Amino acid sequence: MKQPYINLHAVDLHYAAVAFKERSLKSLLAGAFKIGSRKAEVKDVHALKNISLQIRGGERVGLLGHNGAGKSTFLKTVAGLYPVSAGTVEVRGEVRSLFDLSMGFEPDATGRENILYRGLLLGLTPAFMRAQEASIVEFAGLGEFIDYPIKTYSAGMQVRLAFAISTAVGGDVLLLDEVIGAGDANFMAKAKVRIAALIEQAEILILASHDFGALSTLCSRGLVFHHGEIIFDGSINDAIAEYKRVNGLI
Amino acid sequence: MSENYIQGIWRARYFWTHLALADLRARWRRSFLGVLWSIIQPLGMTLLLAIVLSKMFKSDIYTYAPYILSGIIFWECITACVTGGALSFVQADAYIKQCKHPLVIYTLRTVLTSLIVLALASTSLLGWSAIVLPQNIGLHWLAILTVFPILGLILWPLSTLLAYIGARFRDVPHATGLVMQALWFLSPVYFEAKMFRQGGLDFLVDYNPIYHLLQIVRAPLLEGKWPNLENYLFTFVAVVVFSLIAWLVGRSAERKVIFYL
Repeated sequence: MKQPYINLHAVDLHYAAVAFKERSLKSLLAGAFKIGSRKAEVKDVHALKNISLQIRGGERVGLLGHNGAGKSTFLKTVAGLYPVSAGTVEVRGEVRSLFDLSMGFEPDATGRENILYRGLLLGLTPAFMRAQEASIVEFAGLGEFIDYPIKTYSAGMQVRLAFAISTAVGGDVLLLDEVIGAGDANFMAKAKVRIAALIEQAEILILASHDFGALSTLCSRGLVFHHGEIIFDGSINDAIAEYKRVNGLI
Repeated sequence: MSENYIQGIWRARYFWTHLALADLRARWRRSFLGVLWSIIQPLGMTLLLAIVLSKMFKSDIYTYAPYILSGIIFWECITACVTGGALSFVQADAYIKQCKHPLVIYTLRTVLTSLIVLALASTSLLGWSAIVLPQNIGLHWLAILTVFPILGLILWPLSTLLAYIGARFRDVPHATGLVMQALWFLSPVYFEAKMFRQGGLDFLVDYNPIYHLLQIVRAPLLEGKWPNLENYLFTFVAVVVFSLIAWLVGRSAERKVIFYL
């Protein structure tokens, strides 16, 4: 198997404004008669600006930046979910991502059924998921609730189950977006151990977080995002210092 | 469409078959008669329509009833795929935002679900035809099986095309509702082909892919013969045309859908 890598060259990404502008007949008519021009004009969002970088196998990269700086967009671009407006994205290796954990559950099905369903969403086979089921149930620690429909679960329970399923399999490239921070204290401790193990297995880790402690223990390289640009690329401790300087935290 | 894309559809096969089956389970969950409803509903409607329409149009109720039944169940399947298909991506937003699968698997799910319902409902059509028109039973009944893959190959690209547009313009389901009603009125779905011909509207029959598609089932069941080459030719043209348009639109639309969800 070839060494996984990530290669971005001069990547630009725009969110087209038409996607979130109101497109109703009402707004069309209002526009024609120049009513409601008080509304702020919605422009295309330039979410990533001329990003070029390489990440080789074995690297552990932390992403820093203010809210809306482009961290999540960057991760979703690497995961291949977002199309770039310009430039090239090359990713080699199996990508496993943990973004929004509680999305995609089937509320009427039981927790146990949802383990299978979510595994299939991730592209795994039914046989593999059946083999993993026991350990996932164990890890989620939901007791008899595992055989109850998901709609009876609390938000925290859903996150626990989603986390247990999504982390049951590792990949070559692991993308994490602020997932550390869900569940109660007891589960958090377990989750941290689990993530550490996943990170061990993965060739490349990219972690977006505001938790400096987690970043400096898990990552070696740091990227600082600022309004869609990478303004710093270097060791994680220098990156944290730079992030604090740019955002006026010191 | 690249080879990778097709491989992606195959790799996600467990996922989309699961989605289709889950849709079916959801449809029949907590209903006493469950699956049977897919059979009872068109049967009941047929009974009512056949009695009224055969009196109105002075048709022979024995052959007209299965004619209507075949129209009802196929039309149901087509409208479900067209109006439901337009929302396929919107409904699957949670999946699309998390995992990179080829988007056509979400319309495949819609089409597959409708085809399964159609297959169940057509057992009642087969039963009815066998009882009322036993003289038509023969080898040519095998032709009925060919309608499912053909219908799937028409509806899959068609609903994908509508889903691309529907992700961006949420007017599509409303617009298709109107278009489908017009198409229904202009096609021999409930009304017999001869009624159109009597009115000098032959072109609504002869150049209508909906007529030719239904004929694949109606010829063996109601007329006791194989569907003709023309029937297959017209449906094949529909497959090619819709596939081509869906592919052309998809080339640029496929990647942008995520922004519109």
